Amino acid sequence: MRLKEEFYQNGKFSDCPIYDLHGHMGSFYGAHFPRNSPEQMVKIMEKFGVKLLVFCHHFTLFSPDIGNSVNIESVKKFPDKFRAYCGINPHYPENIKKDLEDFEQNKDIFVGFKFLADYHRVPITDERYKPAWEFADKKNLLVLMHTWGGSPSDGPQQVRKCAEKYKNVKILMGHSCHGEWDKAIKLSQDFPNVYLDLCAVPDEERGIIEKFVMEAGSEKIIFGTDFPWFNYAYYIGTVLGAEISEEDRKNIFFKNAQRLLKKI
Amino acid sequence: MKLKFFDANVYIGQPTIPKGKPIKNANELIKEMDKYIIEKSLVWHIAQRDVSPEEGNELLNKEISDKKRLFGCWTILPPQTEEVIRQNFFEQMKKNRIYALRIFPKSHNFILDKIVFKDFFIQLIEKNIPVIIDTQQISYESIYTLLKDFPDLECILCDIGIWSVNRYIWPLLEKFQGIFIETSLLALEDGGIEETVKRFGSDRIIFGTGLPERYPEASIVSLLHADISDEDKEKIAYKNMEKIILQVKL
Repeated sequence: MRLKEEFYQNGKFSDCPIYDLHGHMGSFYGAHFPRNSPEQMVKIMEKFGVKLLVFCHHFTLFSPDIGNSVNIESVKKFPDKFRAYCGINPHYPENIKKDLEDFEQNKDIFVGFKFLADYHRVPITDERYKPAWEFADKKNLLVLMHTWGGSPSDGPQQVRKCAEKYKNVKILMGHSCHGEWDKAIKLSQDFPNVYLDLCAVPDEERGIIEKFVMEAGSEKIIFGTDFPWFNYAYYIGTVLGAEISEEDRKNIFFKNAQRLLKKI
Repeated sequence: MKLKFFDANVYIGQPTIPKGKPIKNANELIKEMDKYIIEKSLVWHIAQRDVSPEEGNELLNKEISDKKRLFGCWTILPPQTEEVIRQNFFEQMKKNRIYALRIFPKSHNFILDKIVFKDFFIQLIEKNIPVIIDTQQISYESIYTLLKDFPDLECILCDIGIWSVNRYIWPLLEKFQGIFIETSLLALEDGGIEETVKRFGSDRIIFGTGLPERYPEASIVSLLHADISDEDKEKIAYKNMEKIILQVKL
């Protein structure tokens, strides 16, 4: 049975696990998320056949007082379902030192780092991220960055500078430099270690997934949803609705993620 | 389960600046509807927003005149300028099978307020004609003011944005029975459909695809697999919109 028919019928796939490489957890000041606890999230992931979510907790990203402890606790609760990005807040260099130590002691928890430069208002090229970049480069880790078109903090130009410098890091362009799609595609073409992310992309424009696949290749696209912001069924629906091959869909849903995670 | 759909949020025509995959005309829309098994659509023409409401309304009339599966939605402007709202307005609506009205205050530069629309909106309430509000075109403060002034006006809020807007919308659903939410972006929110149904019932949600700008499958599978009853799904997919159309008195 084709993936589309199977999902319409059953709401999940029998032979196509979903790996979500862009998630969060917990409540957030700017919006209401009714189902944001690890327990609620796991229940929804199981419903839609999401095998693994890699996330960074909202509290980590916005509260230096809490930091990465909440990521560690959450993964420990559901080690088969979650992995975490170690969140980096560049305003607190002394915390970054501890974050890197925590990473070393929790290699089964973390797969890389999360930078939220637009919100933290420090460009990803700033020296304060350097310890995390170098750590990731040395260990071939993932770095999931919020990237946004026109941003002076994490726009395409800043991503290019980082990609040129840190060739061993798997750079996941969260939101694919939102709006500057052509520049994001070019980055994914120019650098073997730079990937496009679907989070907050297909809800914006019908046909964008086809464009990504045609110009960048489905091997360079990861499935991300900002869950618990966005609904799995909706995002799976956009990939099923795109006029791309079954193999492309499988690359996006799980094969690329499995390959990236295996190398860590 | 199999659902039949009534799409409340779709436009035809070629935009000045293309977005998504434009659906040029009503014939193309019918083909798209068949592809997704959408039985009926409430449709508007993009020229109503981006070119001229008057001309766009006319283009729509021509496109849907022989398409019984399509129900029309005109765009209005302040009655005072008599560009769109003139004598025999409602007769013309009936003649052209127009069942709802859209407003674009931001693009068309007017204030959505009782100073402008009081007498006209009183007539809409009497005739059960719904107003469709694209929330990218008007602030929530203005929507709140509108509903305080016209608590019985039927409004379908569509394109509600990609951030969860529960904090804005739930108070409106609680207070005003004539408020409906369209699904093409409500379904994007995790739990958007389920949590709204849990609190306010399924009567207040209207199915929409957001065609041609969004992938229809997104809204369709989100409803198909939402954790709500089959009866609730049927209402959202088709029955609620059908009921609104049937209650319009022209």
